[in-house]
Amino acid sequence: MQPFVLSRPKTLAEAAELARASSQDSALRAGGIDLIDRMKEGLEAPARLIELRWLGDAEATMRALGPEGEGVQIGALVTLAQLAAHEGFGEAHAALRQAAGSAATPTIRNAATLGGNLLQRPRCWYFRHADLVCLKKGGTACLAVGGENKFHAILGGGPSFIVHPSTLACALTALDAQVEIRGPEPRTLPIAELFVTPKQDAKREHALQPGEVLVRAILPKPAAEQRSGYAAVKEKQSHDWPLAEAAVKLSLQSGVMTDVRVVLGHVAPIPWRSREAEAVLEGKPPSEALFAEAAKAALAGAKPLRDNAYKIPLAQGLLREVLHRVAGVPLPE
Amino acid sequence: MADEQRVTLKVGFAEQLRDIEVQLPAGEPKPWDARSELKVVGKPHPRVEAPLKVSGAAKYTHDIVPANALWAAVLRSPHPCAVVEAIDVAPAKSQPGVSAALALVKPGERVIFAGQDIAAVAAKTPEQAEAALRAIAVTYKPEPFVIDTAAAMQDGAPLVHRGKVSERSTEGDEPGAGGSAGQRGNVRTSPSMKKGDAHKGLRMAKVSHEATYTTQVHTHSALETHSIVVQWDGPKQATVWCSTQGIFSVRDEFAEVFELKPADVHVHTEFLGGGFGAKFGASAPGSRMGFIAGELARQAGAPVRLVLDRKEEHLCTGNRPDSRQHVKLGASVDGKLTAIHVVAHGTAGIGTGAGVGRNAFGIYSRCPNILVESHDVFTHAGPGTAMRAPGHPQGAFALELAIDELAKKLKVDPLDLRLQHDEHPVRRHQFELGRKQFGWDAGRKQAAALRDKNARVRRGFGVAASIWGDFGRGKAVVATVSVARDGSVEVKNGLQDIGGGITTVVAQVVAEVLQRPVEAVRVRLGDSELGPSVGSGGSVTTASVTPAVRAAAEAVKTQLTALAAKQLGRKPEEVTWSEGQARAGSKSIAWAELCKKIEGEAVVATGTRPETYGAYPVKFMGGNSYQIAGVQFAEVRVDTWTGVVAVERVLAIHDCGRVMNPLTARSQVQGGVILGTSYALTEQRVMDRVRGVMLNPNLESYKIAGARDVPRAIDVVFTPVDTGANNTGAIGIGEPATIPTAAAIACAVHDALGVAVRDLPLTPDRVLAALGAVPTRGAG
Repeated sequence: MQPFVLSRPKTLAEAAELARASSQDSALRAGGIDLIDRMKEGLEAPARLIELRWLGDAEATMRALGPEGEGVQIGALVTLAQLAAHEGFGEAHAALRQAAGSAATPTIRNAATLGGNLLQRPRCWYFRHADLVCLKKGGTACLAVGGENKFHAILGGGPSFIVHPSTLACALTALDAQVEIRGPEPRTLPIAELFVTPKQDAKREHALQPGEVLVRAILPKPAAEQRSGYAAVKEKQSHDWPLAEAAVKLSLQSGVMTDVRVVLGHVAPIPWRSREAEAVLEGKPPSEALFAEAAKAALAGAKPLRDNAYKIPLAQGLLREVLHRVAGVPLPE
Repeated sequence: MADEQRVTLKVGFAEQLRDIEVQLPAGEPKPWDARSELKVVGKPHPRVEAPLKVSGAAKYTHDIVPANALWAAVLRSPHPCAVVEAIDVAPAKSQPGVSAALALVKPGERVIFAGQDIAAVAAKTPEQAEAALRAIAVTYKPEPFVIDTAAAMQDGAPLVHRGKVSERSTEGDEPGAGGSAGQRGNVRTSPSMKKGDAHKGLRMAKVSHEATYTTQVHTHSALETHSIVVQWDGPKQATVWCSTQGIFSVRDEFAEVFELKPADVHVHTEFLGGGFGAKFGASAPGSRMGFIAGELARQAGAPVRLVLDRKEEHLCTGNRPDSRQHVKLGASVDGKLTAIHVVAHGTAGIGTGAGVGRNAFGIYSRCPNILVESHDVFTHAGPGTAMRAPGHPQGAFALELAIDELAKKLKVDPLDLRLQHDEHPVRRHQFELGRKQFGWDAGRKQAAALRDKNARVRRGFGVAASIWGDFGRGKAVVATVSVARDGSVEVKNGLQDIGGGITTVVAQVVAEVLQRPVEAVRVRLGDSELGPSVGSGGSVTTASVTPAVRAAAEAVKTQLTALAAKQLGRKPEEVTWSEGQARAGSKSIAWAELCKKIEGEAVVATGTRPETYGAYPVKFMGGNSYQIAGVQFAEVRVDTWTGVVAVERVLAIHDCGRVMNPLTARSQVQGGVILGTSYALTEQRVMDRVRGVMLNPNLESYKIAGARDVPRAIDVVFTPVDTGANNTGAIGIGEPATIPTAAAIACAVHDALGVAVRDLPLTPDRVLAALGAVPTRGAG
């Protein structure tokens, strides 16, 4: 790792000024989990780190966690540990609490933030290998194609086949979150628009422009009888990246499911909303057979690479399990 | 000096005890046997060095920073195979903070794995050293390479070595293993293990099983990476701190490289952060660390620290080779094995040693026809080296899972099939013990019921066996025990404590003999000037060191007895000891009083260990030492929707002769089970076959079991055996403890699913594939 200057501005305006002054050669640091990894791995060597954790009261929104109107606001500097322990999330937002609590390790969750988790770079081993030049680093091809692609995308892939690394992204997409962005022109987006597909731009994963900072996420007012849930399958149960994730939100009223959202993680370059599965479930009473049908629909469009076809049954099984739990239908033995 | 003596020892295990006579060399204490009633040895005692370790006061090689020390960094080849056309280290020398730079290859030389040494620098800070590497100019001409074991076996595959390869063996290798029966292309054949006629046995078989089993490359991944610190004390004298399993192997290699007298190389390893077979000698298996650190220190005129990072640790410091084992088993209709035939290929990268151990040959020895053929396949990857029971975990996996699959065809209980073919009385005893304690019969029924119902979440029960030898070494260790006038007791030896707890056990042995509290015994290890000792490989440490320590303590006691006799006015043979007091008739003298009468500073004696003289009840194949027995049972839970395997319980039943300290011995076995579980479920080196580089040289995507991955319960049971091997009765446990774990887990998964997953690690993709849930492979 190369030496760098650490700056600790008190306001976002100061941070923006520092960033402008150091042109392209600076990086914002919050939890520093992924950023320091990339620096240690020799992928990046910013001359200046602008630390967001020292922002003062003027930026209290970035640490907020609680009601906002009839919804919930979550500041970008809120840690995963805070989210996992937050008692204000009821059944309606359980998916976010479960997702935050499942990521990484207790130590990392104590430092990692919502903003950093959403904006981290992919864990693809070709991207992370300092000696290899993949599509994301200016090369001509995604090295996962014809390479070792067990952990890569089966949906929405091409020309890059990364999977989006953010666990919170999967849950927040299912919960219809919005994200608020500060910059030259402040804006608020549905979270789905934060993510960039490789077809749009293979070199990036999010839509933030230089000078923009993600300030908070906002969960809308939950629908009546809304419930949600999240789970992941990992090879290793302590500290591993998921093979697949599923987040589900639905309202269960008069025995039928409405406002259904089904989102899969770690199967595509973005959090993968399955409108096919939603269509199977919407307006129907929950049942084991219906869930199996929805899971099948969710993966119907999968185009696996050489080593990752297993993700199809795995994601189906996981989605079925989450649907059972969220809808309260007992899992078969 | 006393003459040789014949003594009668009570040996055996459980209720099966008998007397044997052994010839003891002069001066050798009578071995502790089944009649011995010991007060300290065999009782649980916490590690004496634990406070130092948990407080951070213990200094590991990583912590050693001599005054003015420089940091070294090594430039490594990014190419799996290339000819170095030009190399210029001069630009590095003018970089900030740099004191020395060294080319490690010459123009025209071929490098044959990604990670091989190219050049090295020493600078004032690690960042300066790393930055200076980028100033070194190297021109490579890339050449064709081969990474995949199967591809390397093909005719016309790029040749890894152009000439004949001889093996580099270390103290980590199993004694008696190795050798070559020829080399063709990238394939080097090891001598086969043969009994009867396996081909004929297979032809005679009425029921047979044939399948291919594969295992992955497993890196040692010790928490403390390979590290060496060199300080020249004069042109021909050096002090070396090294994270090593063998202090004297470091001394000898360093002396040889720099043409020094071994006695002029002073090696320290006070604490060691893990060693699983890859830490012998001054160098790592794939990096000339001793030369690099020594030469940089010489050129710079300052001490040099060379501490590898995690990536280097994965690339060039050794690994457990992979394997591809074709197993054929034959049996009669009534379930008698007629043949075991294993043909194994594996890659140790550019190195040798991919054999699959003695499991297939040695355990189910009632089978009359056995043939085990092992082949090393060279590939352009970092060299393999001995790793905790070299060859055995992979051999156990293939054999035991094949036995299970055969048992299924024969419709017999796989535990019964094992019992029917295993001649070792201790292992048979262990199998029976485990059957009851683990709830085997009920568990297998439960697993079958869940299978029959096609349940989503299954249970499975498996068992596998371990074979290893008592390789305790004679005449290798000289231990010194002293008792000073102030009553203090010290024991010294140039041994490293690999982490198994030998420091505590040594203190217990001295405390037992001299009747002093364990805490009162000062143990000094980790320094080559404290007397000859063994490397900690082959599970030899406790068996080699404790008898020498006991002999030294007994010799000191003899002198103290003489002194007491003089003080009490009696003959030495009239003196007895109890609770630290010497007594004769009605008179006694307390320890402190007696020690004050010592003439000079201290009573000092050395002790050595003779060759092994007992091997009751079963000898290790082809040797004169005891065959160590062990069995492990595993219970797994498998989610058939996601393919995730969780290990619920492991019951590990082992013998290690006399259990010297149940706490540290249990910890050793638990460590072996955890290592084996990690090997079974997640660990795997992943190479990019197109570009020839390792894709997961870290501890994030190289997945070592964490707290949630280890078995929910690890129960350890010892079945003590008095073998008559040596005067303390200790034999090794480090390696046997990890041999059967992955095999037992794989057998349990087979039980849960009704189909075998024949490839390690047992990851969800493979479980789902075995269940037939994965669609045929995807598009390119």
